[in-house]
Amino acid sequence: MPTPAFNEEALTHIDALFGYAMTLTRDRTEAEDLVQETYVRGARAANQLAAESNLKAWLFVVMRNAWLNQLRRQNNGPRFVGLEDEESFDPAFPSEESTNPQVVYLRKVERTQILLALESLPTQYREVVVLRDIEGLSYQQIASVLDCPAGTVMSRLARAREKLRTLLNAREGRTRLKAV
Amino acid sequence: MSDCTDIRNRLNLYLDNELQGDERVDFESHLRECNSCKAMANAEQRFLDGVRAVEPLYVASPELKQRVSTALRFQSHNTTNASRPKNTRAVATIAAAAVLLLLLPILIWRARERDPQSLGASSFALMAADTHLRHIRGQLPLEMVSTEPRDVSQWFVNKVSFSVKIPNYQEAPGLEKLYTMEGARLVAYKNDYAAYVAYRMNNQPISLVITSDNVAQTSGGEEIKAKGLLFHYNAIEGLKVLTWSDRGLTYALVSDLEERGQKSCVVCHQDIKEQDFIAPLKPR
Repeated sequence: MPTPAFNEEALTHIDALFGYAMTLTRDRTEAEDLVQETYVRGARAANQLAAESNLKAWLFVVMRNAWLNQLRRQNNGPRFVGLEDEESFDPAFPSEESTNPQVVYLRKVERTQILLALESLPTQYREVVVLRDIEGLSYQQIASVLDCPAGTVMSRLARAREKLRTLLNAREGRTRLKAV
Repeated sequence: MSDCTDIRNRLNLYLDNELQGDERVDFESHLRECNSCKAMANAEQRFLDGVRAVEPLYVASPELKQRVSTALRFQSHNTTNASRPKNTRAVATIAAAAVLLLLLPILIWRARERDPQSLGASSFALMAADTHLRHIRGQLPLEMVSTEPRDVSQWFVNKVSFSVKIPNYQEAPGLEKLYTMEGARLVAYKNDYAAYVAYRMNNQPISLVITSDNVAQTSGGEEIKAKGLLFHYNAIEGLKVLTWSDRGLTYALVSDLEERGQKSCVVCHQDIKEQDFIAPLKPR
């Protein structure tokens, strides 16, 4: 049974859950419905939550499962964009040439630019960046949410960040052209 | 000592606090010795700080917070009710005494209550009355606002586990619309969602709550047969509540209209030919 304490603590994560719901659905109405669904499911299953568990990470798991169930009901299948072979990816650090101008740029880049670049990422990349860099989940917690090995999280995150850098570079290039 | 390639391959792990113990010590030792890797680590950290600075990505609206808060309160209430039989079984003797104590004020109140229709109201009828009251008090805002039956029917698709088809207005030429649809929302009931539709007739609110007959069965109150259906009429907190089941769905219609509130039936049965459907619901 959900206790008032559970409800109170769970509600402190509503912005984070809404952000993740927007990442998954890309639609405000669908995201709001998904948030409500998550809380209702979470409250029903609150007694399955171990005392030492991270409530926020657990709610993300509940949300993702609820979203997948919705998609199955709609018979549409998950709306993921196909990615390259993740397991064979070597999460090597990007070359220095692509990094240094980026670093300089990122000092100046506005929040909206990063948000736009995040919006442009394929869902699978976007959700791993959101879970790690925005919501601060560990690799293991992300692996639980995504139901995949932690190694996949690591490689997907490296790819996602690389893609984000590329998008930000492209945006910077366009901004410079406009300025000229 | 790790080489630079190894360090760069593990930089994300280090910056994400995924390196622990000796691995972390070894990594930091390399950074102290190697300016190139240190510069790269600093640059990557700044990149991540830039990305992380956008948090929060989105902020939930006050309406969503209210909606979720209400759903959680309702969930707690329902779960408490649902778990009661298990507790009763476990501690039968104590529970029996406790139930008697708990029921005593209600029994006294019921004995004083002169409205026989309020006795034995089903949990679905009680929920519908409570939903109606909370909606008119502004505690249960509509999740979609529309006066179009088709839009409301469509809104429920994939939100509830049954099909909701709200009849269109059946306007007679030259006559004013007898009622207006206001919109809809979901309401939690028995670990599922029920469909809630709000109407107004002569500025008086009418609520229609629909769920599957697997979830809610009608019972209690005054039984009235009309057109092959069995209606249950209850007066609950001054409200007129009609419940019935038909073709796999269970309905509750709540209003404070006169008599048994049978006029509220026009939200689905406005056609003059269907008035004989409503007539048996009037008190004799």
